[in-house]
Amino acid sequence: MKKPLSWKIWLLIIFLILSLLAIFGMPPAFLQKGVIVSSLEQDSLLYSQGMRQGQIILSINDNPISDLDEYHAILSSMFPSEENLKLTFKTKSEEDIILTNQTPDIIVEGIPGTRIKLGLDLAGGSRALVKAENKTLNAKEINDLVAITSNRLNEFGLTDLKVLPVSDLSGDHFMLIEIAGATPKDLKKLISEQGKFEAKIGEDVVFIGGNRDVASVGRDAQNSRIEGCDRVEEGYVCRFSFSITLSGDAAKKHAELTDALSVNATPQGNYLSEKLDLYLDEKLVSSLLISEGLKGRLTTQIAISGSGTGATEEEAYINAKEEMKKLQTILITGSLPYKLEIVKLDTISPILGDNFVNSILFAGLAALLAVAIIVFVRYRNIKAAAALLVTVLSEIIIILGIASLIDWNLDLLSIAGILATIGTGIDQQIIILDESKESTIMSLKQKLKRAFSIILGAYFTVVVALIPLLWAGAGLLKGFAITTIIGITVGVLITRPAFTEMVKRFGE
Amino acid sequence: MGKLSKLHDKYYKVLLLIPILILVFCFIYLGFFYSQTGDIIHKDISLTGGTSVTMYIQADKIQLEQDLALKLKDLNVREIYDLRTREQKAIIIETTTDGEEAKLILEEHFGFELIEGENSNFEFTGSTLSNSFYKQLLIAILIAFLFMAIVIFILFRTAIPSTAVIISAFADILMTLVLIDILGMKISTAGIVAFLMLIGYSVDTDILLTTRLLKRKEGTLNHRIFKSFKTGTTMTLTSLVAMLIALFVVRSFSSTLTQIFMVISIGLAFDLLNTWVTNVSILKWYVLSKEKRQ
Repeated sequence: MKKPLSWKIWLLIIFLILSLLAIFGMPPAFLQKGVIVSSLEQDSLLYSQGMRQGQIILSINDNPISDLDEYHAILSSMFPSEENLKLTFKTKSEEDIILTNQTPDIIVEGIPGTRIKLGLDLAGGSRALVKAENKTLNAKEINDLVAITSNRLNEFGLTDLKVLPVSDLSGDHFMLIEIAGATPKDLKKLISEQGKFEAKIGEDVVFIGGNRDVASVGRDAQNSRIEGCDRVEEGYVCRFSFSITLSGDAAKKHAELTDALSVNATPQGNYLSEKLDLYLDEKLVSSLLISEGLKGRLTTQIAISGSGTGATEEEAYINAKEEMKKLQTILITGSLPYKLEIVKLDTISPILGDNFVNSILFAGLAALLAVAIIVFVRYRNIKAAAALLVTVLSEIIIILGIASLIDWNLDLLSIAGILATIGTGIDQQIIILDESKESTIMSLKQKLKRAFSIILGAYFTVVVALIPLLWAGAGLLKGFAITTIIGITVGVLITRPAFTEMVKRFGE
Repeated sequence: MGKLSKLHDKYYKVLLLIPILILVFCFIYLGFFYSQTGDIIHKDISLTGGTSVTMYIQADKIQLEQDLALKLKDLNVREIYDLRTREQKAIIIETTTDGEEAKLILEEHFGFELIEGENSNFEFTGSTLSNSFYKQLLIAILIAFLFMAIVIFILFRTAIPSTAVIISAFADILMTLVLIDILGMKISTAGIVAFLMLIGYSVDTDILLTTRLLKRKEGTLNHRIFKSFKTGTTMTLTSLVAMLIALFVVRSFSSTLTQIFMVISIGLAFDLLNTWVTNVSILKWYVLSKEKRQ
C-alpha cells in the first residue's frame, strides 16, 4: 500500500501553487490582451475624457489592440496629420473619444506576462540628467549631490537605481539618475523636491533634517504609526506620528528657545505660548503644541506628526503613509543642497538586451541538466536525480514567487543570488543523498537528521555573511543579498525537508 | 585504498607546503600589485566610469555591439526612446576608451563627422560606485568574512579546526583574486558579488569535512576523510560543471555573467585544493596529535 504524502511534501506543493499565483496572477496575466496606460498628464485631452493611469486600452477606432507593437502601428499610421482625427479608445469599462492632430499625449506599456519586476539592467527605465537651478556646480559639489541623492532615494525604498556624476565637453557637471520601472513623471516628482526641512519656534530654527541635528528616526511599528482617520468635509484625513531623537546640540537649542516662552493654561492642559512649527520646502506641514513640562528642559525625544488626505479613507491612509515616509526620509538624509532642474528626461533601454532573460534561462537549464546527469552517474539512481531536479526547479519558482510578492526588482545581481542559492542548494542535496547512503547501523531518519546539522551550519554562515551587504555601498549589493537570503531560507525551511522526504520514500 | 592511506599518513604535512607556497606568492604579488596600482583589483567601467557618446541616429543595437565590440573597450550600447511613440531617438555608446580616440573610431565606423551638440554629445560618466561607497563595500566584505568566522567558531567551538575552515575560505578568495589580477580581468560590481558567493561555496565543503571528522566516530580517521572527500568532490564538481556550462552558454552575450561564472569557477577549483589539502592536513594533524596526547 502506498504511504500518504508527508506534510513536508504538501508544504512544498502549497508553496509552489502560491508562488505560481504570485508570479502569474489570477486570471493569468499572459492571457490578457491590450496595452496598459502607464502615465498621462492631468491636463491632457484623454484625462479630461476620463482615462486614468492603469487602465487597459483594448481597441482604437474598433481596431483591436493586443500588444504594444499594434498600438504604435495604428497610431503611427495616422499621425502626424494635417487635420484633426477622431480617436475612440475603448477600455474595459468605457470609451474615450478625442479629436487631435498628433499622437495622443499618453505613455502606454505592454501588459507584462508575469508579475516579476525586472531591474534597470534587464528592463531599462527612466533616465534624467540633472543640474542645479541657477548655479554651476563644481566636481566636488556634484559628488556630494550624488551621494546625498542616492542615499535619499535609497531611504525612500527605491533600490534599483543608478546615480552618477557626469561631465560634458565644456566642463559642465551634471548628475545622471536612472530608475527601473519608474515612469519619467515619477522620476520628475522625486527629483524636483528639494526636501528642506525646518522645525521652528517663532522665527528661530530649532533643528533641520539630516544627521547633524537628528540622531535617529523611529520607523518601526512602535515608534511610527497612523493614529487614526476622520471624515472631514471633502473626504477623509488620516494622522500619522513618529518619534525622532535629537542630537545634543539640537536638544540644547530646543531647551534655550523654550525657556524663553511663557505658559498658557487651556482646558486641555498647560502649553507653551509658541508652537513648534514644521516646515517642508518652506511650507508649513504641521504645528505641534509644546507641553509645559518641556519648558527649558534638555529633551532629545520629539514626536513629529502630520496628516494625509484623500477622497476615500483608504486613499487618505495611503497618502498619510507616504507623507510619513517622505518626512522620515528627509529627516534622515537632510535636504538637497540646491534646487534641481532636469535637463533631459528619456526612456532608456537596458544594458542587457531583450534576449538576455531567455538566454539565462537556457544557460540555467543546461547547467541543471548537467548536474542531474552527474548525480545520476554518481549514485546510479534515476529517482534521486529526478528528485534533485524537481527540488531545484521548485526552489527557483518559490524565489520568483516571493520576489513578485514583495515587488522586488530582479536585476542581474538578483539573478546571481538565485544562482548562488541553486549552487549551495545542490551541494546540500548531495550531502543528504550521501548521508542517507552511509552504511551504519543508524536508522535512515537519524542519518538524515545528521545531514541537516551540516546544512544548518552552512546556512547560518552564509546568512551572516550576507547581512552587512544590506547596507554597504548605498545598498548596491542589496539585490544579491536579499535574493540569496530568501533563496537559502526557502531551501532550509521548505525544499530541503521535502527533498529529505523524497529520499526517505526511495529508501523504504 | 590502504596504500593511499599510508601515503597520506606519511606526507600530509608535506602536502601543506603547496598551499603555503601559493599563499606566500599571493601575498607578495598582491603587495606588488597594490604598490603599482593603489588597489587590489583592476576596476571596470562600472567602478571607474568612462565615456558616453550619445548619437542622434537610428541604428540596430545588436549589430552595433557586434561591430564595435573589438574596437571600443568595455562597450555597452543602449537605445533612447521617445516616450510617446516609442521610436528610437538616439543610441548611447558607453566605453572606457578615451573620448578623442572613441570619436575617431566612431567616425570611421559611421562614415560621418561627429559634431558636438549637433548630431552627437560626448559625456564623461563617473563611477556608479563612488570611492567612498567602494571602500564601504570592501569593509562590508571584511565584516561578512568576520561574521562567517564567528559562526564557524560557534559551530565547532574548538580553535584549530575553526581556524582551519577560515584559513581555507580565505585562501580560496585570495588565490582567486590574485589569479584574476594576473589574467588582467577587470572587476565590475558583479565581480565583487562573485567573490562573496565564494564564501558560501567554500565553507560548505569545509563544514562537511570538519563535522564528519570531529563529531562522528564511525570508521578510522582516514576512512572518514575519504568519505568526506567523495561527498565533497561530488559537491564541488557538480557546481564546477554547472558553472562551466553556464560560462560556455553566456560567454557570447553577457560579459557581466561571464565574469561571475569565471570568478566562481576559478574559486571552486582552488577550493578543491584548499579543502582537501589545506583543511584536511591541518585537521588531520590536529586530530592525530590530540589522540597522541590522550
